[in-house]
Amino acid sequence: MHKKSRFERLLLTVLVILTVFFFMAPIYWLLVTAFKYGRDAFAIPPRWLFFDFTLRNFQEVLSNTQTGRFLLNSIIVSFGATALSLLLGVPAGYAIARSGSRLLNLSSYFFLLLLMVPPVAMLIPFYLIMRDLHLLGSYISLIILDTVFDAAFVVWMMRSYFADVPKEMEEASLVDGASHFGAFWRVALPLSVPGIVAAAIYVFIFSWNDFLFALMLTSPRTKTIPLGILASFSAVGVNWGKMAAMSLFAILPALIISLFLNRYFIRGITMGATKG
Amino acid sequence: MITTSKQTLSRRQRWVGQMRRFLRGEGAYLAMLAPLLVFVAFIALYPLFFSFRISLFKYRLTDPNQTQTFLGLDNYSRAFADPVVLQSLRVTLTYVAGTVFFEILLGLALALLLSSEMRLMRTIRASLLIPMALPPLVVGLVWKSLYNADFGVIPFYLKEVGVNVGRGPLAELSWAMPAVILIDIWQWTPLLMVIFLAGLKSLPVEPYEAAYVDGATRWQNFLFITLPLLRPTLLVALLLRTMQSFKVFDTIYATTAGGPGSVTTVLNFHIYTVGMTFFDMGYAAALANILLVVIAILSILYIMVLERQQL
Amino acid sequence: MNNTLWKFLSLFIILAMVGVAGCAPPAPAPTTAPPAAEPSQPTGLAACQGQNLVLASMTDQYVAAFRVLVPQFNQASGANITLDELGYVDLYQKLIADFVGHTGSYDLMTVDIVWSGEFGANQYTKLLDAYMERDKAELQLDDILPVSWTLGEWQGTHPAYPLAGYANVLNYRQDLLAAAGIEPPTTQEALLDAAIKLTDAGNNLYGIALLGAKGPAVAQDYMAWVQQHGGRILDDAGKPVINSAENVEILEFFGELFQYAPPGATDYWWDQRETAFRSGQVAMMEGWSIARAGYEDPEISSIVDNVDIAVAPVAAGMEPKYGFGGWGIGVNADSTPEEQECAWQFIKWLTSPEMQKDWLKNDGAPIRRSTMTDPELVALYPWLPILLESFEKGDGDYRPRIPQYSIIQDALGTHVNAFLVGQETAQEALDAAQKQVEENWQ
Repeated sequence: MHKKSRFERLLLTVLVILTVFFFMAPIYWLLVTAFKYGRDAFAIPPRWLFFDFTLRNFQEVLSNTQTGRFLLNSIIVSFGATALSLLLGVPAGYAIARSGSRLLNLSSYFFLLLLMVPPVAMLIPFYLIMRDLHLLGSYISLIILDTVFDAAFVVWMMRSYFADVPKEMEEASLVDGASHFGAFWRVALPLSVPGIVAAAIYVFIFSWNDFLFALMLTSPRTKTIPLGILASFSAVGVNWGKMAAMSLFAILPALIISLFLNRYFIRGITMGATKG
Repeated sequence: MITTSKQTLSRRQRWVGQMRRFLRGEGAYLAMLAPLLVFVAFIALYPLFFSFRISLFKYRLTDPNQTQTFLGLDNYSRAFADPVVLQSLRVTLTYVAGTVFFEILLGLALALLLSSEMRLMRTIRASLLIPMALPPLVVGLVWKSLYNADFGVIPFYLKEVGVNVGRGPLAELSWAMPAVILIDIWQWTPLLMVIFLAGLKSLPVEPYEAAYVDGATRWQNFLFITLPLLRPTLLVALLLRTMQSFKVFDTIYATTAGGPGSVTTVLNFHIYTVGMTFFDMGYAAALANILLVVIAILSILYIMVLERQQL
Repeated sequence: MNNTLWKFLSLFIILAMVGVAGCAPPAPAPTTAPPAAEPSQPTGLAACQGQNLVLASMTDQYVAAFRVLVPQFNQASGANITLDELGYVDLYQKLIADFVGHTGSYDLMTVDIVWSGEFGANQYTKLLDAYMERDKAELQLDDILPVSWTLGEWQGTHPAYPLAGYANVLNYRQDLLAAAGIEPPTTQEALLDAAIKLTDAGNNLYGIALLGAKGPAVAQDYMAWVQQHGGRILDDAGKPVINSAENVEILEFFGELFQYAPPGATDYWWDQRETAFRSGQVAMMEGWSIARAGYEDPEISSIVDNVDIAVAPVAAGMEPKYGFGGWGIGVNADSTPEEQECAWQFIKWLTSPEMQKDWLKNDGAPIRRSTMTDPELVALYPWLPILLESFEKGDGDYRPRIPQYSIIQDALGTHVNAFLVGQETAQEALDAAQKQVEENWQ
């Protein structure tokens, strides 16, 4: 409709470059620090391109058998929490979206409130419950706890997603004698794969990044990767290179998922989000 | 005897029939919701009850005798008389307002800036989502080193252009809060960008065509057409970020530990200190409940606005 | 329809309530562990056969020694000790959670010198006195320096055993001091004077590196300065006297030193202080002796061959006393007697004079006189004699080793930092810290 002047184009290009720089520079910093010797991590002036390249940090991280363990634990907990929260949350979101009952509709706000509860407030009671159930230090305790928040998020997101999926086909299948479960399972679910994938990515990242619950609820055998990173802090100096290398491992899976399934993610979250 | 058993049987039959009919109708929806409700009731409500009950007691977790002394509402009156609590409540609200405001503003700006469907733009947009996938703990640690006054990258370049960085962004009283807000902006603005992009794409074309005929400028278009139409999206974005912003903990833990002094001590962090350093469970629970009420009031206000939108 | 819905919902609510009631915690279990059968027979490494233990270790330098020696012990004894490495804050929280929850996840743990009071008073860790009495013939207790015993002693008992002793020493850049014609300072006044002279902000060079970050860092550094000026945190009756006129004066002095520290020092945690020193930005740094070896490692240090070490300066006219800290090693009171016995065998093995040499060579820290005077080790680590001198006049109580330590540390950690960044005056800061400590004192 409106033509852009050359000056405008230039200005916009500069703005785009600045944006990319702002969001990518810290990640680049983390990346190069992982390949630097400890003494160069904080060299002044900063070295962005030319520095003594070393794989030492990775050697150290990989030779520590625990790193693999942390990764495995993170994967188990994140997958567990994601699966459980989808299992519980997707049907619930569907029910809320389709039900004619005002009560059910309003219950979505309950899940919203749940999402707002600060984790710190739940930490102690949870710790005591898990102690009494003899589940401290088990994968289950962490999965269950993550699922409370994850499932609430799934409900909230899937509710608005299902609301966007046209009802007609489900109604047709109901007329054909299918049950509500059948309509959900065979008609609505296949249509909502992008939304489900998006929700899954989101809650996977939540669980993967969780630090506070993991701090209190894990045992040495179930420690997750953020805790491994924290452990590189000592009273007499941090090896930043090692920490950066470890961080790269920590962000790798989340990165792969969000880049690889990016399209799903964007489509899913926005379809849900724009409807409110 | 026989009649009674027959009656029971028929009653049971009737009940089963009722149940079946119920499950074919609205009941099916309830059945789909039920597993989650039961789960949440078991796992989430008990902690909330516990937290409320314990907030009426004096209970120190490390007390060898585990004595719990009933205090009534003393923990609450103590909280409201405690300048640290009032200060950290103020800090929390500043943090939430600061992060949400700038993220929405910048998110919208980014959505407009990067809306082109060119391949390059799509790649850029995808890569901007990386910060969101990083553990907040790692993000905090990275930014803490970037901010360091003596060997951090940011102060280095600021000094190069002649800015006096003093003790560094995280250690100056007036800079610490903006500095931690900037970290949050870095991590979460791209999410809002994505949401706004979708919102923009779903807008109808007709109003713009009409405006074009009327000779409206782009600025007028944005102000009088785009913004009003985007309202539902804006509200969702506002809600999403407000919620997450209130929960901030990891970033503060990794960067300032609530300092310098107490200018970045959000209520969450203070609760953590009271609970996990002093192990003063009753008081910590009371503080957590106060925070919950604040959040609940805000969200009820939000829900009222949202409900009115939909009607 | 809605009517039926309500019926079902109330059913759920009732179900949920029943569930909640079922979840209610049982009455608090008595926390004093039942007195385990006290050991009478000396037992050797055989006691460890088939035992699975977990050792929680702080990620200080000595963790490198654990990585080497724990597998050796497993080999020798048939035990299976797993090493869990934790940062300072999370180690403390995990341990407390383990103790108050009586979950017994960790059988062995490194115990910071300042935790010994808390762990001892609450009987979180097993008192080792009975074992020590039983095995005293093999322990060579006299060889362990008196100050080393503060690593884990509490009111005459031993909730932990000495593991790694640190002395607060003065590290300085001999090249810079020589160039400026300054003698290594032996008094606090000379230290300030040297810091002033060595500061050259235009060339990004500063006199001294200090810990200023909110939290344990600034609290512990300030307490070190209180010690070096002869001030005190507790009075003779054990009551906190944080805001004494003397301490306020010391805080003013501490603040003055910060003017000759890198500008970012008010945000320094231990690692950043080390980075500042290792990168060559500061001329002097007081700190724990255990970091010393790292300055000679070219991979992490830019100041190789330029560092020397001296005893930490004290205020003029003061009887020399040097800050002492470090770690003990404790045994969980909730572990089974068999696990406890094996844990004790590990401690005994690790702290024996023979193993202490390997311990030190792998970045451990000394507790025994024989280790610090061993010719082979002294040749490797020429600074050991200075360490011995610091240990002999060491003061392990400058940070009060009492159950309420974490309350003192938190109060000082907040308010000393507030003073350094100009939010409070010295008097206000210490008054506020004193008030906060009194409120949380139990």
